[in-house]
Amino acid sequence: MTDPGAARILEGGYRRYDGVRSGARGAVESVALHTAQRALGLRRAARFKVLPVLAAVLAYVPAIVYAGLAVLLPGDLTENGVLPTYAQYYFFITAAIVVFTAFVAPEVLCTDRRTGMIGLYLASPLTRTTYLVAKATAVLGVLAVVTLGPPLFLLLAYVLVGSGPDGPVSVAAFVLRIVAAGTLLSAFFGSLSMAVSSITDRKAAASAAVVILLLLSAVVTNSLVEAAGASPTLLLANLFELPFEAVVRVFGEPSDNPELGRLATPVVVGATVAWTLAASALVWLRYRALEVTR
Amino acid sequence: MTAPAPPTGGAVPPPLRLVGVSKWFGDVVAVSDVSCTIGPGVTALLGPNGAGKSTVLRLLCGLTPPSRGEVQIFGADPRADLGLFGLLGLVPQQESVFESQRALEFVRLAAVLQGVEQADAAARRALAVVDLDPALRRRVGTFSKGMRQRVKVAAALVHDPAIVVLDEPLTGLDPRQRLAMIALLQRLGREGRCVLASSHVLDEVERFGSRVLVIARGRLVAEGDFHAIRALMDDRPHRIRVRTDDPRAVATGLLAAGAAVGVRLDGGAVVVDTDDVTAFRRAVAPVARAAGARLEEVAPLDDDLESVFRYLVGER
Amino acid sequence: MSETEPGAPTALPPATPRVRSLSVLPAIYRLLLATQVTLTRLLALGALGLTAMVVGWAIGQSDPADPVATAARFVNAFGLSLTVPVTALVFASAALGDLTDDRTLVYLWLRPVRRATVVVAAFAAAVTVTVPLVVVPLVVAAALAGGGDEVVRGTALAATVGTVAYAGIFTALGLRVRRALVWGLLYVFIWEGFVARGGDNAARLAVRSVTATILGAASGVDLRLAVLSTRTAYVAPFVVALVALAYASWRLDRQDVD
Repeated sequence: MTDPGAARILEGGYRRYDGVRSGARGAVESVALHTAQRALGLRRAARFKVLPVLAAVLAYVPAIVYAGLAVLLPGDLTENGVLPTYAQYYFFITAAIVVFTAFVAPEVLCTDRRTGMIGLYLASPLTRTTYLVAKATAVLGVLAVVTLGPPLFLLLAYVLVGSGPDGPVSVAAFVLRIVAAGTLLSAFFGSLSMAVSSITDRKAAASAAVVILLLLSAVVTNSLVEAAGASPTLLLANLFELPFEAVVRVFGEPSDNPELGRLATPVVVGATVAWTLAASALVWLRYRALEVTR
Repeated sequence: MTAPAPPTGGAVPPPLRLVGVSKWFGDVVAVSDVSCTIGPGVTALLGPNGAGKSTVLRLLCGLTPPSRGEVQIFGADPRADLGLFGLLGLVPQQESVFESQRALEFVRLAAVLQGVEQADAAARRALAVVDLDPALRRRVGTFSKGMRQRVKVAAALVHDPAIVVLDEPLTGLDPRQRLAMIALLQRLGREGRCVLASSHVLDEVERFGSRVLVIARGRLVAEGDFHAIRALMDDRPHRIRVRTDDPRAVATGLLAAGAAVGVRLDGGAVVVDTDDVTAFRRAVAPVARAAGARLEEVAPLDDDLESVFRYLVGER
Repeated sequence: MSETEPGAPTALPPATPRVRSLSVLPAIYRLLLATQVTLTRLLALGALGLTAMVVGWAIGQSDPADPVATAARFVNAFGLSLTVPVTALVFASAALGDLTDDRTLVYLWLRPVRRATVVVAAFAAAVTVTVPLVVVPLVVAAALAGGGDEVVRGTALAATVGTVAYAGIFTALGLRVRRALVWGLLYVFIWEGFVARGGDNAARLAVRSVTATILGAASGVDLRLAVLSTRTAYVAPFVVALVALAYASWRLDRQDVD
């Protein structure tokens, strides 16, 4: 009789997967993680890393410079307005936030529709809603790199050199404000960018539309309010400056914008949240009606 | 343009020539050290998907420069002499054309850009060659794959080029159009043009003509008449089917005569593997006669292009 | 393989002369004009111009204290910083970029036609469609905003000259990079919108300083980024466009074509 130990099969063809199945939750986590990696250019060719690196440089270099100034300058200078406040710091990283806003959501949404990849996703345990949850999680996570990271870094640096808030309670309060402000900005710009990306399959067109929408809304509303004497309420349609004004209110600082500064805090924050919800609803409606052919 | 100067000594440079050409994209080597000369007549460029066929065609047309080596059209570098493009007609693989144009506009534009006098008449003639109506009002963007393919061929032929390069010219064509396209390529070859066509439809390529270039993994693995290529494959036994009324006796006789290295009974036939076809042919009739069997058919099974192709690239 | 093939040609085919640029320029120009002008682009960018006119009208109705300065600042902020660069970017980057993206460039490239002819045709097509889409609405907006002859003239000049410079740069960019729209926006938004405001030297590397200088000189209004001499503002854009087109021709000649 032939000895069975003398033979072995290395590849038996198709076999059913017997491992652990992580279900919809695992699918959401997996899609969110890989989407974030893709948006940040991780495990991709060098040219895909240019924009994320550029945005990170724009966001973090000012924080590093100010942290250095806090170390070098005497304490009284740092307390007299030489260093920016946390809300003012966002002015320096506007460009980084807009770069990420314009490029992250088109990258993660348009590509899937254009390549038909969304059909594969929806053939998995993911539904349209959980797919969008995964994508939104990734977009928020990536945007947090520039909306949360730099102010937290600045806070840490200020605390270490003795120019920051005193005591753990005060530090914790600032951390909470930074997290609230960062989340507000990420949610606002992320949902806006996703809404635009849900309208076109072309990444470049979506990116362009996001930037143009932000700039156009700012120029038009500012022109109408400042030059044509329209009501400052119109500035609630200024999609570029409104969320940053909301951040100023979160930190309880005085507004630098005389016209927006005339609006009450609940109105400014409420409008920011309303835009976020409206944009999210548009994304959901677009995907609910989306025809997936493959 | 400066016409490619004939080399001294009277020899005429070949229409297309690659000399030690390699092409790499980053870390990926698409074409490795390929040398060949392509003369008038129809030549088929064969290879599995991803073998480097399209890259070779792009190199030959000057669409991409070689990373190493030389590409020549009539002895001159196509990327250094724009005038050479007047001698060349290319049918690219991609379906894309200028969507908003009509067929006549598309082909006429090609004629104008080639400096053809009476471009309109030339465009109408070229469309007639591919059996398309010049008066067609539909835009090219609405055309089927086959119609697009024919418009592209018309645009490639409108200036009467000496060299015609076609990347997968049979793609998208229905059987009748395929026959017409093959006939057209054969006619162009008979007219003395250098016609180079890549394809993966082997049984139809076989009808282009017998001259092939076979590419696998970026390397040129064989070239020339495919029957001759098959004959050169000494390491591959030839497979021949012998149909007879007594296959068992014939099989035994062929093995005993040393004319076969392997036999297999297949119904009323013997499938013979031999590494010496000449010896087999000499032996088969006497063996049958000695066995009292009647021979009904002796036919090669792997002398077709597909078998040659499979042998060349199958185990790579 | 042997060098001499059976059936090798016995004579070279007749020489094909390089086609004369002037004889093919109109055909390429018409083709590129047709490929870059799409209904979506016209509607989107037409809406931008319409918005400029509506806002200009609203400003004019509000009776500002200094109408000339108000109108000039509005044109500078809206028209010259947004409408002109974005419109030029969309069309100029598409002029050759669209052909690269949809793999039709081969039908222009594989011809005995000078590369510069193709590039000049692309540039001319981009300018042809951009100028009416930006100059007309911005001039109307400037007039409606109450800017008077000075601002209207300055707007027309600045928008035209700016279009020439942007179209040259973005035609080359469309050939150089795959996502030219994105990189062009980065230039317009990051460089011109942020970095150029950091100092005069950075501003000199922004086309926006050219348009602001021309508008500022014509209207007598002190505008942000108006840091050049008037002569430089009129000469530099044409030099920039020329250099960009020369680069694009060089690049097209060395291009890998699909």
